[in-house]
Amino acid sequence: MRHDNFSIFPAKVSNWATALLFLLILSVPVLAQDWIRTGTGLGVEKVRIAAADFQPANADAKNAGLQKSFNETLFNDLENAGIFDLVSKSFYPLPAPARPADVKFDAWSSTPANASMLAFGSLGATSDRISVQAWLYDVKNVASPQVLGKQYDDDATPQAARSIAHKFANEIIFRLGGGIPGVAESTIYFVSDRTGHKEIWAMDYDGANQRAITHLGTISLSPRISPDGSRLAFSSITKSSWEILMYSVELERMISFPRFGGTNLSPSWSADGTKLALSSSRAGLPNIFVVDASGANPKRLTSGKGPDVSPTWNRKTSAQIAFVSGRSGLPQIYTMEADGTNLQRVTEQGYAVSPNWSPNGQFLTFSWMRKYGPGQPGANDLYLMDITSKQFVQLTHDGGRNDYPFWSPDGRHIVFQSSRSGSEQIWTMLADGTKVKQLTTSGHNTQPNWSWK
Amino acid sequence: MAENPDIFLERTYWSGPLLLSCGLHVAFAAFIVLYATFLHGAPTDHWGASGGGDAIGATLVSSVPLPTAPTDTQNILANESKGLAKSEPKPQEQEPDAIPIPDKATTSKPKPVTTASQRKPEPVAEPPSNQVPFGEGGPVSGPYGNFNAGGAKGGFGFSGGGGDFGSRYAWYVRVVQQKVSENWLKYEVDSRVGDASRVYITFDVVRSGQPRNVRVEQSSGVPSLDQSATRAIQRIDTFGPLPPDYAGDKVSVEFWFDYKR
Repeated sequence: MRHDNFSIFPAKVSNWATALLFLLILSVPVLAQDWIRTGTGLGVEKVRIAAADFQPANADAKNAGLQKSFNETLFNDLENAGIFDLVSKSFYPLPAPARPADVKFDAWSSTPANASMLAFGSLGATSDRISVQAWLYDVKNVASPQVLGKQYDDDATPQAARSIAHKFANEIIFRLGGGIPGVAESTIYFVSDRTGHKEIWAMDYDGANQRAITHLGTISLSPRISPDGSRLAFSSITKSSWEILMYSVELERMISFPRFGGTNLSPSWSADGTKLALSSSRAGLPNIFVVDASGANPKRLTSGKGPDVSPTWNRKTSAQIAFVSGRSGLPQIYTMEADGTNLQRVTEQGYAVSPNWSPNGQFLTFSWMRKYGPGQPGANDLYLMDITSKQFVQLTHDGGRNDYPFWSPDGRHIVFQSSRSGSEQIWTMLADGTKVKQLTTSGHNTQPNWSWK
Repeated sequence: MAENPDIFLERTYWSGPLLLSCGLHVAFAAFIVLYATFLHGAPTDHWGASGGGDAIGATLVSSVPLPTAPTDTQNILANESKGLAKSEPKPQEQEPDAIPIPDKATTSKPKPVTTASQRKPEPVAEPPSNQVPFGEGGPVSGPYGNFNAGGAKGGFGFSGGGGDFGSRYAWYVRVVQQKVSENWLKYEVDSRVGDASRVYITFDVVRSGQPRNVRVEQSSGVPSLDQSATRAIQRIDTFGPLPPDYAGDKVSVEFWFDYKR
């Protein structure tokens, strides 16, 4: 009994513990690995990329048309991506390569082309199929130049050739742009009155292929496509009032969605597609509500006289909602948690509307007249604000009314509505305000909404 | 009366544990030998097998034009780029014409000699300026050159494994560089700090392209700078999957941040 202190048991435990510890240390494999050492503050520009015209792989008569459509699309997609410095086609050495063996590395990588990357390949139609072989080469790395090698097969139509070019461009952007999928296959929904009524329309991201979605013959506004691309929510005037309507893109028809009563406007999908935020006056005053994707369980988030409209979710976390409120007089942007707590005012002056949250959750973009009122002619321009630091940057400067900014899924572009050309049209730009491009021309086109992928 | 016997008893009670301890040590040693021999029989890689530390350059290319300080390039002298000033070889000075020594044997009259003092003054050509008009001097690149141009040449450090990641996948390295630069928010650094020494961050990029295991390798001495650098990496969801034909399962990156307000 008095020898308990000398029991061997603790010693045994500690020995085993030591043995175990050593065993654990040993079993962590000591593997050599690749190291990269790099830093900031030195000089590298955008990737300089050349997109050689794809060559016909055979003598089929259809090739010429397909080739034209493919080459134009690929070049435009890369140019629109915003991450490349595209080499002008007049600098390209001839002949354009169709196979890896044809690539003259020196000619491409030296002046005047001076490219670091080269996209090239061939396409050929056989009966009613088109087959495309495409490569992306790092021409300054002669030892192992291949970055991408792809083969596509589809119907031999210009539309399919376009789609293949979009896919290949997206692959290039995904690889060289750091794992962010390109937007070449995305869709922009918008409101157009070109048929006489304000209907919801859709187009490819580059403005091609514009088509009407709804044919209601009333007024429809603020289209918002769901994150999975299957449903389109928008507000429309019905027999009684403004209600949220739902359109199934897959079924190509309207589907049922509850009518809340009062004025219901500006729906907005959460990033997981399970919830919709909207502005509803069902309880008297226009306040922000959150409902399930089916329209069930409406929950009121704001109170007071408002009016509160245009909610938009933090697209990265879905944990916050930004919205416009007129509670202090002129409309200003506010943010709150998704449960309605922690209300904060973002803009302090002027007239600020149409907030939209960037995909990385870092920025809000909105339309702002910083000076508003008699004797203060303020321009209506788009601004970008860093949420945490409240620093902002003005994105548009060129006059006209600029409104309804909406982020592209890759966070590199913003689509918006502008009257700078004389009438309200849809425009896109890079998120830093450069490369402004008009997408629509006929009728009045407003309230663009970029699809989630 | 029970105190004395304890002293003698101790010896007997120590021998058991001592034996056991010896036994365990022997067993453990045997285990290490067996483990190393059979389980890790054929080691292919060694620590510090080849390669070494080098570095490449990157710019702060922000996707969004938040106000940033102009980036400095380092050490423009030791640089492969043409830079903003072109150096030209010194024009060779012509030696004055040699004056032939008159030969006594010749009867011909020596030709009149023009000396420097007799020469007509000629307009002296101005030495060409070494300035290059804006935009014509080529890019000012970092001291280690554009890694795309040189492949691995002085570009990257690596060791073991495939060993040639930097040279084979220069485009991927560029992606890493660009993304980190874009995601570094300088305003997170304490505004009272004007200048800080370089902070080194190391992290791994796994196959899916996600950064893992971010740690400060060498601190700058400014906690907020260390933290903003760490956050820059942590903010990144993915660099894009590693090249499909790359054999390794991860790449380690050492990234440095230079801060100057």
